[in-house]
Amino acid sequence: MEWTKQIGRYILVMVLQVLLFDQLQLWGACHPYIYLLCLLMMPITLPPIADMLIGGIIGLIMDMFCNSLGVHTASCILIMFLRPYLLGVILNDKDRLNEQVSLRSIGMEAFIKYVVILVLIHHLTVFSLAAWSWYHIGFVLLETAVSSVITIFVIIGYNILKYR
Amino acid sequence: MQTLLKILLRYSNFLVFIALEVAAFMLISYNSAYPRSSILSTANDVIAWQNAQISAVGEYFGLRSQNEQLAAENTALRNQISSMESAENRAAIHYESAKVVQMTTDQLHNYLTINRGSKDGIRRGQGIRNEDGVVGIVRTVGRNYSVVMPIINTQTNLSCRFVKNDYIGTLQWNGKDCRFAQLADVASHMVVNPGDTIVTSGLSPVFPEGIPVGIVESSVLKEGESYYTIRVRLHTNFKRLKYVEVVQNADQNELEELTNGMD
Repeated sequence: MEWTKQIGRYILVMVLQVLLFDQLQLWGACHPYIYLLCLLMMPITLPPIADMLIGGIIGLIMDMFCNSLGVHTASCILIMFLRPYLLGVILNDKDRLNEQVSLRSIGMEAFIKYVVILVLIHHLTVFSLAAWSWYHIGFVLLETAVSSVITIFVIIGYNILKYR
Repeated sequence: MQTLLKILLRYSNFLVFIALEVAAFMLISYNSAYPRSSILSTANDVIAWQNAQISAVGEYFGLRSQNEQLAAENTALRNQISSMESAENRAAIHYESAKVVQMTTDQLHNYLTINRGSKDGIRRGQGIRNEDGVVGIVRTVGRNYSVVMPIINTQTNLSCRFVKNDYIGTLQWNGKDCRFAQLADVASHMVVNPGDTIVTSGLSPVFPEGIPVGIVESSVLKEGESYYTIRVRLHTNFKRLKYVEVVQNADQNELEELTNGMD
C-alpha cells in the first residue's frame, strides 16, 4: 500500500514537472526541479544501492526531457548517496525512519535543514555540470539560488499542506 | 583475500556510488561528442509527441498572428522560387518546412525539437533557417523528430561574413541574451560600424551563402587586443519561433567527403 502511494506520487510529480515547471521561463534563470520531492521523501527502508539506482533512473528520465544526457543522472545519484548520512547527522534517534521522510516524521526543523541542504547540492550540481565551464559561474550561482528557492518552497509547502 | 573481501563489503555503498557516477559522467561526455542518442533525448517519439501536444495548446491563442506570418512567408517563398529559377547554381538547395514542437531560450545549452525526422530526409548537420534568418544546425535525428542546436547555444560556431567587404568572422553566443550573439575573429585593422549587416559565409555546406544573420549592434576594441568584441543583434526572434525550414543541400554529402579526405 505504502509503495503504490509512492509510485503514484512519482507519476504525478513527474507530470507536473514536465508539463508545468519545465514550461516556466521566468526571468531567464528559474528552472526549479520539483521532482526532487519524490526522491527526498522516499523512506530509508531500501538498501542504499537500490536508492541510488532509483535516483539514477529518475535522473535519466529527466535528462531525456531536458536534452542533457547524464546531468540529472549524476546529480540524483549524488543526493541519494548523501541522504542517509545527512539524516544521520541531523537526527538524534533514527528509529523514526521506518516511514517516509516528511515534515511529520522527522519534525519541522530537521526537515527544513534536510530539504534545503540537499536541494542546494542537487541544483548546484545540475547547473554546473550543464554549464561545464568557469566562464558561466556567475550565472550558475544565480540560477541555483533562484531555482532552489522555488523548489524548496514547493517541497516544504506540500508537506505543510499535507502532513502538518 | 578475506580482508580484501571485508573491505569491499564495508565500502560497497561507496564503491557502487563511484561506479554509478562514472557511468553518469560517461553519458555526459558521450553527449557532448557529435553523434547523440536519438532515444535518450527529445528526438524520442514519445517525448516529442508529448511536447507537440503541449505546444498545440498554446497555438490557439496565436492563430491570427500565425496566419499573417504564414501569408508573408508564402510571398517570400514565391519570390525565392522565381529567383531560384533564374539562378542555375542555387537549384541544388531544397527547403523542407518544419514546425517547432519544443524549445528553450533561457539556458546555456538551448535546443529546439522539430517535427521532421529521418523519414523526411533530415540528416544531422543540415542547416535550419526561417524567413528572418539563420536558426541553427540539426544535431540529432530520430525517425519522426529531430533536435536542433540553435545559434543561441554556447557550443555553436557559425562562419559569417560582412556584406560590405566579405570579411569573415565566427558567430558565437555567450549564454546571456537570446536576442544578441557575438562575432569573434574580426581583426583590429577592419573598420566595424554599428549597423553593418552580417550574413552566412557559404564556406561550409550547412548554409548557402547570404542567409541573413543579424546587424552589428556595437563593437569594442579593447586596449592592447588585436580582435574586436562585436555584439550582433540577431534577425531571428527565438522567443516566437514557430515554423522553420530545413536547408537540404544536394551536394552536402560530396562536399563533406571532399573535406574529410583532406585530413
